Amino acid sequence: MIELTNIVKRYHQQEVLRGVSLRVADGEVCVLLGPSGGGKSTLLRTINGLESFDSGSIRVSDIVLNPEPGPQRDLALFEIRKRVGMVFQQFNLFPHRSVLENVTEAPIHVLKQSRDAAVLNARRILARVGMGDKENARPGSLSGGQQQRVAIARTLAMNPEAILFDEPTSALDPRTTAEIISVMTDLAASGQRMIVVTHAMSFARTVAHQVHILHAGRIAESGPPEQIFENPQEPITREFLSEAAKA
Amino acid sequence: MKKTPVQSLVARPSFRFYAQTLLTLTATWLIASSSVTADDGLDRIRLRGTLVWGADQEGGGPFVYPSPDDPSQLVGFEVELAQLIAEHLGVKPEFSQGQWDKLPDLLDRGDIDLVLNGYEWTPNRAQRYGVSIPYYVFELQLLGRTADDSLTSWDDLLKPVDGRKRKVSVLGGSAAQDYVEKLAGDSVEIALFEGATDAMEATELGLSGIDANVQDLPIWVFYSDGFSQLRPIGPPTGRGFYVVMTRKADRDLLKAVNESLFKALQDGRLRKIFTKYRIWNETQATRGLETDADGGFIGGDADSPADGNGTKESGEEATASYQPSGGWEVIRQRGGLLVRSAGMTVLLSITAMPIAVFIGLLIALARLYGPWYLGKPAAVYVELVRGTPLVLQLYLIYFLVPKLLAILFPGMELTINAFAAAVMGLAINYSAYEAEIYRGGIRSIPRGQMEAAISLGMSRSLALRRIIIPQATRLVLPPMTNDFIALFKDTAVCSVITVVELSKQYYIQARSAGAIVELGLLTALLYLAMSYPLSVMTNRLEKNLSQERRG
Repeated sequence: MIELTNIVKRYHQQEVLRGVSLRVADGEVCVLLGPSGGGKSTLLRTINGLESFDSGSIRVSDIVLNPEPGPQRDLALFEIRKRVGMVFQQFNLFPHRSVLENVTEAPIHVLKQSRDAAVLNARRILARVGMGDKENARPGSLSGGQQQRVAIARTLAMNPEAILFDEPTSALDPRTTAEIISVMTDLAASGQRMIVVTHAMSFARTVAHQVHILHAGRIAESGPPEQIFENPQEPITREFLSEAAKA
Repeated sequence: MKKTPVQSLVARPSFRFYAQTLLTLTATWLIASSSVTADDGLDRIRLRGTLVWGADQEGGGPFVYPSPDDPSQLVGFEVELAQLIAEHLGVKPEFSQGQWDKLPDLLDRGDIDLVLNGYEWTPNRAQRYGVSIPYYVFELQLLGRTADDSLTSWDDLLKPVDGRKRKVSVLGGSAAQDYVEKLAGDSVEIALFEGATDAMEATELGLSGIDANVQDLPIWVFYSDGFSQLRPIGPPTGRGFYVVMTRKADRDLLKAVNESLFKALQDGRLRKIFTKYRIWNETQATRGLETDADGGFIGGDADSPADGNGTKESGEEATASYQPSGGWEVIRQRGGLLVRSAGMTVLLSITAMPIAVFIGLLIALARLYGPWYLGKPAAVYVELVRGTPLVLQLYLIYFLVPKLLAILFPGMELTINAFAAAVMGLAINYSAYEAEIYRGGIRSIPRGQMEAAISLGMSRSLALRRIIIPQATRLVLPPMTNDFIALFKDTAVCSVITVVELSKQYYIQARSAGAIVELGLLTALLYLAMSYPLSVMTNRLEKNLSQERRG
């Protein structure tokens, strides 16, 4: 279970998150939607500490993350990062390592798995995302869609309790977007818990268990996709959906 | 799911641990215990069994210079004097190379027991150091070009020609410089040279309007055969005394040196040595110290012309003289020495550069990721090191560090040897540049790399070590190889702290053989042979990098 309680974040004088609370149960797919600048990515990045926050708290299973900097927060973050993976818009693969090494890097050096075990596991995962034949390639020689598959594999190799997707398809063309969405759909079907910031409405509509509309640092509306897409309660939601449909 | 205990992060030998170990090892290696500064110099020398005397081979003949027959052997009248003094003390002489003007510093540092290298007596030196009775009374000789009829006396020198002051070359910091300055004041222009033979050569060729040269007489006598276009003008003048210098505290040593010189004067051994190098003359004889077998006075010798030219002693042949050589002969004779010294250049470079890169990396990390109390001093370090010349840094390390060590660890008698000081100086100097290169390299790695690494549970130091630094290193390799080439050439500066590397060896050999061109070309070739492969490597690295970026 991941639980965010009343998260507030200020940037200079401006509040970018104004008390956001949400809860993701085990095996659940949670999608954050909303206009640009609404705080979706920032919220996602507070969960694994890429962004700090000013008040509130975050709980991942039995680990509690508080806003005050210090060794306690560092320790909590270290544990959270081992259990919660992240997939980035820009992939951020390690260009000086092969595909296989990208995937085995953290299991070997963070989880202290043996090299053999890590390689075995990495090959299995690469095959699962359709990259089994590219293990010796360098990231620079791969297409964007292929790089994102490797990035997902890299996260999966840590056997994460949850994966944070930060606009995973925004840097991709429509065809490769569809490929990545299908990989993510398969993951969801296998019971992988994930929190996804995306503009891909089809994914939210068909895969999400919960959808949250984030606007101006607040959650405007939450609910299952049927409610959000078929019967939105809030004017902000309706406005966002009609803008998204035009685009 | 496999869970790793938190302790594993702490227990693992960290990046910092490796860094500390390496630094400690480096420091231990750099600080080598050697010299002792006890009160009684003589006892110390007898205990050691060697008398360490300092001189600069680059000064050349007839003082101390590589033997024309075997350039790896030293000859010169001071080599024989050192032998004579050491024999008197019952020990073996040991030569120690040092830059001429820095020899008194080596005495202060305790590296040598004596300075024996044409140092003249001055009131200042007598106050600071123990100075022996003179082993040689030198005079100064004015030299002009044979073809120049307008210069025939000291008076001519002081008169301007065509409204232009005469230009005189002298050895910088020598008695000749003092003499000309006092005598002529503003009425001549003085050109300072670092080598006596360079000054003569420049005068012979009339380079940059130089008309005349004022030279210690023994040097002129020794080299006169090699400079056929120069001639002596007027009688020798401006008498001065070559003395042996000791530390002020080493009174017993000074006394023993005096005894040995006095005895050698009396029994004719000194005359023999000077005759061999053709520099015995009437001035030496009229000291009246030499006695015959019965202890009787030997007066001024009519056979010894005072001008010192072609001195021939009755029955004693002059055996050592200047033998200029050139062509393949000189390469064959002295090339091996240059190649061996190139080895020192290589050794200095390949030891200093990795240390420079390592310190540079630590400095860059301190500036980029360290807290302010590390970052600020690191920034100051870079500016300080970049803003001061390498030669000054080397000098400070070599002469200041032993003093600091003596204050910090009294009684432990720690010092730093010349090679270690040279490596340290080069490493520190270059570390500032490597730090800036590394800082640029690390900053050009996209932020997403660090984010991806820590999102995978890596600690910051693990992420730096495995993800950021390897990528940055590939970026900085070409500019660093470029710096490595520069460092190769900068090793030449190390001769100020007694390290004889390729350049210094070239000066020593070229001046003693008079083969500036041949040995110069060989030296240039050796430098090129060392740096060219690195140039090729830089180009290849740059090419690979740009291909990778496109790919």
